[in-house]
Amino acid sequence: MAKGQVKVRRERSVPVIMRVLAIVSLVLLLAPVVVVILAGLNSGDHLTFPPDGLSLRWVVAFFRSGAFLPAYLFSLLLALCTMFFSTILGTMIALVLARNEFPGKQMARAFFMAPLMLPGIVLGLALYLFYLSSGLGLTRTMPGLVIGHVLVTCPYVIGTVNASLVGFDKSYEEAARSLGAGPLKTFRIITLPIISPGIIAGSVFSFIVSFGQFDVSLFLTPPDYNPLPIALYSSLRYTFEPTAAAAGIFAIFLVVVSMLITARLTNLRKLANVNFS
Amino acid sequence: MLAAPGTIFFIVFFVVPLASLFLLSLDKPSLGNASVQWMFDFRNFERFFGRAIYYEAALRSAGLAALVSLIALILGYPLAFLIAKTTNVRRNTTLMILVLSAMQLDMVIRLFGLMVLMGDVGLINGFFRWSGLIGDQPLPLMYNFAGVVVGLVQFSLPFMVLSLVGVIQGINPALEEAARSLGATRSQTFWKVTIPMSMPGILAGLLLVFAISFSSYVVPTLMGGWTVVVLPIHIFQQVVELGKWQFGAAIAVVMFAISFIVMMIYQRAAVRASGGRV
Repeated sequence: MAKGQVKVRRERSVPVIMRVLAIVSLVLLLAPVVVVILAGLNSGDHLTFPPDGLSLRWVVAFFRSGAFLPAYLFSLLLALCTMFFSTILGTMIALVLARNEFPGKQMARAFFMAPLMLPGIVLGLALYLFYLSSGLGLTRTMPGLVIGHVLVTCPYVIGTVNASLVGFDKSYEEAARSLGAGPLKTFRIITLPIISPGIIAGSVFSFIVSFGQFDVSLFLTPPDYNPLPIALYSSLRYTFEPTAAAAGIFAIFLVVVSMLITARLTNLRKLANVNFS
Repeated sequence: MLAAPGTIFFIVFFVVPLASLFLLSLDKPSLGNASVQWMFDFRNFERFFGRAIYYEAALRSAGLAALVSLIALILGYPLAFLIAKTTNVRRNTTLMILVLSAMQLDMVIRLFGLMVLMGDVGLINGFFRWSGLIGDQPLPLMYNFAGVVVGLVQFSLPFMVLSLVGVIQGINPALEEAARSLGATRSQTFWKVTIPMSMPGILAGLLLVFAISFSSYVVPTLMGGWTVVVLPIHIFQQVVELGKWQFGAAIAVVMFAISFIVMMIYQRAAVRASGGRV
């Protein structure tokens, strides 16, 4: 009971002006998302004020669309490929960074996190010019695009796996080894269960970052396959197609589900940390 | 051993491309040729800093990013404060998921929503016309500088909020209570205790928002309708429309340098914000 009263008092300690400004920023964050959903479910040709009414005609149009449905599916495929490679590379790097002490370790970590800090358009241009001049045949191809996406998503996996290794007790691994388990078996039965929430959270993040990636894709997109952000961008330059908003609804759904999964996992991770400390 | 694949990948596809971008920016201009000719001088950079159209774009980009950081702080701090002071676990998680989802959603989709809201025949103008507040002349909300500012604040606000929440949560409530019990008013406590204690997060948030709004391409092109020309637009034009890859690389290097400096300061601020732990 006393605890509950403390809670109430603290929540009331946010002054009115702060609450008003906080609501303004929540509205600014969420209003565009709500508008996209309404525009995709609107029955008229364009979303106007006052609105016309609800219908699924634009959702149906999206499933028949020759531009947005292929783009959506291509983005899904791209995000899955990116997630696969980022998760493997990122987990390996994080394991090395978290469990070894070596000179220049901070530098190494900063190096692997660097793609996050770099403007996406600069990284995209650097890769585009490198593909053009190196003759590797990656210019405006799917593998070339995946490479760009892996670079910007890997840091997320490194970050989450690294966080799940904080406070990791090496003696569990040593115990397994001394009881006769090989290095692979030790990894499978001891290390992997501990870091798996971090790996899953990292792969969810890399999926969703790749799915919404625009800047890096700009110079690397294959001529006949557009990822969704690029396809939406091209159509938005000329008109507001409700079909694009319907595609947006499905993207919003993906993002919200991913964030719910991540929220679940971070809680699980805290639980895991409590149990292992 | 375990780090070998990652290290090789990062060297081949990160270090080498960036190094060649630097070399190319110093190379002799050669239309439609992306390979290094090894004829180095500074003419691309002389052109950049010698022509008003380019260095003014750099100044415009920086000014825009500075303004956006300030507005994002004014709007983001109260939201972060509210989240940090919400002790109800469910409500706290919901707010965090809303901010994270808004951040992770493709910016082009969010811009679609903003443009439907703010366009000449958009919802806001439609509402004003419907209610008789304005005549046939729509309010110019978009395709101008102000539109770009709104778009960039929408884009960067979640980054500001997330930089601040942890720091505000970490402030020991006993400090605020002590100030209050010693006779400070609520606003005195806020300005003399809470704000100074959140300074590392404020600094980190400002720098992060500066860096990401400085390098955005989609927001200025869509919300500005090509009337607000910033550095990323020049890069795209030089590279894709004109085939001047050496000059495009030079602009990219200037952008890289500015973001790099900002990010170096950010990292220091972020380390301070986390209390010395990385």
